[in-house]
Amino acid sequence: MKEDYLWDKTGEPDPEIQQLEEILGALRYEPKPLELPQDLLVPRRRRNHFPLLAIAATVLLALLAAGVWLRVRTQSEPQPKQASVTPAPSTIDEKSTVATNNDEEPKQQKIEQVRKGGLPPLPRHSKHRSSSTTLPKQEREEALEAKQQVMLALRLTTEKLSLVHKKNQSPSNQIKNQHRVG
Amino acid sequence: MYVTADMLLMNPEQPQETAVEVVLVRAVLDGDRDGFARLYDLYAPLVHGILLARVPRAEVDDLVQDIFLHAFRKLHTLREASSFGPWIAMIARNRAVDYHRRSKETVEISDEVRGTDTHDSKAKEILELIRSLPEAYRETLILRLVEGMTGPEIAARTGLTAASVRVNLHRGMKLLRERLGFVEGV
Repeated sequence: MKEDYLWDKTGEPDPEIQQLEEILGALRYEPKPLELPQDLLVPRRRRNHFPLLAIAATVLLALLAAGVWLRVRTQSEPQPKQASVTPAPSTIDEKSTVATNNDEEPKQQKIEQVRKGGLPPLPRHSKHRSSSTTLPKQEREEALEAKQQVMLALRLTTEKLSLVHKKNQSPSNQIKNQHRVG
Repeated sequence: MYVTADMLLMNPEQPQETAVEVVLVRAVLDGDRDGFARLYDLYAPLVHGILLARVPRAEVDDLVQDIFLHAFRKLHTLREASSFGPWIAMIARNRAVDYHRRSKETVEISDEVRGTDTHDSKAKEILELIRSLPEAYRETLILRLVEGMTGPEIAARTGLTAASVRVNLHRGMKLLRERLGFVEGV
């Protein structure tokens, strides 16, 4: 078929196409040696930066976790200056102690407010405790829990870091990378 | 068994040219300069044909050298070694665009001045007709009629599908036949 001749030069030759090939053959590429400068170096393979980036990301994550841990730790610590300056807020515990000290004035005020139809203000928990020597049990537990979480995060990042390092070192990974690049 | 680039090139029954490309590209990246000379031998006709479809003939040979020099420098950026053909074809097309952008006026003059040889005047006339065809047809037709490649070879080297090449060849040939009706002696 003539169409086959145009496609892959098989089948019945098309005289028009043959004529065109003959005429246009004068413009065909004439082999010439490639002139590469002698000082031109063979290009290097592109380096895979993934392991480096993974390590950098892991270190960054570890630093971030450490920062969070430090912040939590400093927040949970008592601040004696502020505690001494601010007046002791009325907490439930303190009120109970006050009541036990036979100080009847606040109690009377509360009763009067209830009689008028209003409710006494809710007790407010202050951020900083006046007692600077010991933390309340609940806060201490929270701080310990936060610390454990940060330690777990650090352990995870360390494991990930070692995994990336192992992957980077293994010969099978090198071959894989070569295939990817090549 | 270790297969060298020489073995692949010497074997005429090698079905896929891409296998040769892959071996050669890897050899070059491992420091073998001769491997690049082989790639040049394989792909220079393709680059020549792509340029011939776009830039004046007198400039084509120099541009072919420039393109391969550029390809040598940038070979490490090629992700898939099997895509060397489509990659260098794209470089050639881009270089042709750059050429027209940089030297718009001087190119046309130099082509006319140098084109006084009567021996291949008919070939140039037909070449101009092919250049007036849509871009997709002109490149495929030049690779087939000037460089003597078959349709499957064009598809393999340019990265186009065989179906696209076939369509481009037939439609381009149809258009060329119509236009050749106005040219004497063909």
